[in-house]
Amino acid sequence: MSKSLLCPCEDVTTSEIEHAIAKGSRDLESVKRFTGFGTGMCQGKQCLTAVARFLEEKGPLAPAQVMPFTPRPPLFPTELSHWASASFDPAVAPAGGVPDSLGLTEHALKPEGAVPARAKIVVIGGGIMGLALAWNLAERGETDVVVLERGYLCAGASGRNGGGVRMQWGTPSLIALARRSIDLMKRFARDLGINVWLRQGGYLFLAKSDAVVAKLERSAALHNKHGVPTQILTPDGARDVVPELTMAGVKAAAWNPLDGVIFPWPFLWGYAQAAQKRGVRVETFTRVVGFEQSQGRVQKVVTDRGDIACETVVLAAGAWSPSIAALAGVELPNEPHRHEICSSEPLKPFLGPLVSVLDSGLYFSQSMRGEIVGGMGDPKEPAGMNLGSTRRFLTRYAQALTEQLPQVGRIKILRQWSGPYDVTPDNSPILGRTPGLPNLLQMNGFVGHGFMMAPAVAERMAAWMATGESDELFERFTLARFAEGRLEREDMIIG
Amino acid sequence: MSRRLAPVTHPVTFELDGESIVAQAGEPVAAAFVAAGRSTLSRSIKYHRPRGPFCFSGGCAHCLVRIDGVPNQYACQVPVKPGMRVERQNAFPDASIDVLRATDFVFSKWFNHHEFLAGVPVVEKVMLEVARKLAGLGLLPEKAAPAREPALVEHVGVAIVGAGAAGLSAARALADRGVDFTLFEKEPRCGGRLLTGLDEGAPAVALPGRGDVRTGAVVVGLFADDGPPGLAVIRNERLHLVFFQRLLLANGGQPTLLTFPNNDLPGVYASRAVSRLIRLHRVLPGARIAVVGEPDECRALARLVTDAGGEAVAVGASPVRAHGLRRVDALTVSQQGRVEKIACDAVALCAPVSPSFELARAAGARVSWNGRSRLFTVEADASGRATPTTWVAGELRGPMSAAASAEGGLVAGQALADDVARGARP
Repeated sequence: MSKSLLCPCEDVTTSEIEHAIAKGSRDLESVKRFTGFGTGMCQGKQCLTAVARFLEEKGPLAPAQVMPFTPRPPLFPTELSHWASASFDPAVAPAGGVPDSLGLTEHALKPEGAVPARAKIVVIGGGIMGLALAWNLAERGETDVVVLERGYLCAGASGRNGGGVRMQWGTPSLIALARRSIDLMKRFARDLGINVWLRQGGYLFLAKSDAVVAKLERSAALHNKHGVPTQILTPDGARDVVPELTMAGVKAAAWNPLDGVIFPWPFLWGYAQAAQKRGVRVETFTRVVGFEQSQGRVQKVVTDRGDIACETVVLAAGAWSPSIAALAGVELPNEPHRHEICSSEPLKPFLGPLVSVLDSGLYFSQSMRGEIVGGMGDPKEPAGMNLGSTRRFLTRYAQALTEQLPQVGRIKILRQWSGPYDVTPDNSPILGRTPGLPNLLQMNGFVGHGFMMAPAVAERMAAWMATGESDELFERFTLARFAEGRLEREDMIIG
Repeated sequence: MSRRLAPVTHPVTFELDGESIVAQAGEPVAAAFVAAGRSTLSRSIKYHRPRGPFCFSGGCAHCLVRIDGVPNQYACQVPVKPGMRVERQNAFPDASIDVLRATDFVFSKWFNHHEFLAGVPVVEKVMLEVARKLAGLGLLPEKAAPAREPALVEHVGVAIVGAGAAGLSAARALADRGVDFTLFEKEPRCGGRLLTGLDEGAPAVALPGRGDVRTGAVVVGLFADDGPPGLAVIRNERLHLVFFQRLLLANGGQPTLLTFPNNDLPGVYASRAVSRLIRLHRVLPGARIAVVGEPDECRALARLVTDAGGEAVAVGASPVRAHGLRRVDALTVSQQGRVEKIACDAVALCAPVSPSFELARAAGARVSWNGRSRLFTVEADASGRATPTTWVAGELRGPMSAAASAEGGLVAGQALADDVARGARP
């Protein structure tokens, strides 16, 4: 049939770009995410100019607002075996990297006009936490809500994660939240009208040391007690799950077939669109620059587009939360840590579960598009907001991945990027009231697993905020626990 | 029909889906494919639309094939080898009668994957299964990669990327000033569009008298996480990490896609693909070629086509719609207010290339939208300096002739040499 292709790699037509515009995308980063243009084999070489011209012609972008999406290394698809052939110094901390554009795009795309002068609730952060909370509040009838997002939707960690969702956690609270989240994800399309492609292919954790084996056994016992069917497998048993895996150095594995992977971006659009339909305002490309406080309360949130007088403020800005809290004179103990990730060329499906080597922090899965998406934490990664991409990561990841899955040696990496983990001292989140500022509520500190927790956390947070009924979640994970020495240690963290 | 303009003097036979094809030794698989008169080389990822080679510069995905068991190889970049096994991908039962093309007709305008069957009980589960089975391009290789030599780490003073008009001219300027450099060229030979393009009166290809010139060297990235910035380069199947003090980028651009219905049909080419086929590979991709788009470039390409014995039609017109089921057989064009359908067996899209700004951006240069050319171009001062240690020249800065690129390369090369002479270590 006659189609005008704007992105031949991913078969994106002019009609699809028009639909993205109708759904509210206007800049190239947003349109890229909504339509998938520029995410195929050519990574934008063929399509970027054509789409930019189309957006300029159709009106959503003035010429001064036309900015390319961030080019992601490598420049040409490059085999894992090549990246693996380099070396790196494990004793040295990674630094720098190809810079990310976040921050460059704000001025030109900042909306004209002021933000609403008042709102009952201001949510800072338009990631999945903030948007899921806004929708849950709206569901409960509370629609006088403004969500503030400094970039486009999906610009932060919610748009940068690997989409893994698992019940295999080390504390009863997180196990319960994850189970509930996966239930909500299963009916997300029914509730919010957009596909999120939840595929329950399971999570397979591999352990290479006695200490990690003991950790998996401990947590599996806890899972079973809380209704999660995790099994401990021998290396041969793990190979039955993924026949292509080598079991070099593997001593045991933990396997829960009910874990899975989702496609992260539609969650944000689904929550945002449904919340907006009920009257919530979502203000993108808007920065919080301060707070007005008096009588021990936040009175106004100050943005680069005016002030918002409000009764309650929710800080749901992920790894950006400490710097925003500091504007209110609140010190949060969480620190941003870069995590790098990459995506391969798309292959026909062969890999069912998400596989993770808990000893090294390697993880990988196959997306619904067929790409091998994976990452690997770096023990030397220093604290700090850095969204650069490094060659060192590609080498570490490629060496670890090809050791476990040699057949991907000639598979090419298409793009790499990074996102910030929001790391707390005990690897557990910060939820609830702020000591000394009771109308500033915390909803951050999720250490790289906020995405999968968000649907359940937001549901309970909205109920807690709307009804005032006590919920142990907002007692257990308060900011005050750090001062009180009441830590809630979680040890099932990848990387 | 396409045809060879010169006899095959060094025949090599390779296999395409079991069929033997004779090629000229050294030419890329895609050139042999076009010379053999075939049209469908791949099927697109979602709608299974037929695709043939388009850009001949590794910048699109129209020619991806499986070669000797390795998926998604650019047929336009891989030279033929005797006995090579080439397979088309993403088709059932095969690329010529792919029944999955049905998706193109079922979703006649587009496919709304966000909302299609969203939340319909049971059906959405089936959709998930079907979508997963249909996803992906290419198969997991059966074998592990061959053992790679350890990456080679090098330190150079000046690195140049691209040996077209701008890069060669910059290299000569540096050589004249006694400055050493290492030049990386993706193609097997230097010259860029001097060898493959259209410019008449373009400067001749002359290699610089000194310096380290490396062809077949694909720069795949610029990283700055290991101390000084360095290029990641693949050459002779080996990764090189080349740390540099100063960088001159002259890596040009990629063909710009023009938007009209069926702009992806086999037989629709970027103009530089057509000139490359004629000049470098001695293959005329069609007997009657519609040469449309930017008028000056159209006229130059039409001359090349005509001189090669082909017929150039609709020269300088604007493309409105391409026609054909499996390959282009006509093009509706608009010219001076008249719209007409013109029979043709190939289409050449003439348009200035889109600058390949990715490396410049990674080096810290600013990239902005040029409202006149409607391209993203790299910002730089008059000498081509884009950052304290990066110079850019040629089509990275916007549309220009080969002569203008050469002039820009000369100026940038001299400016870089001045900077070296000032002795400031960056």
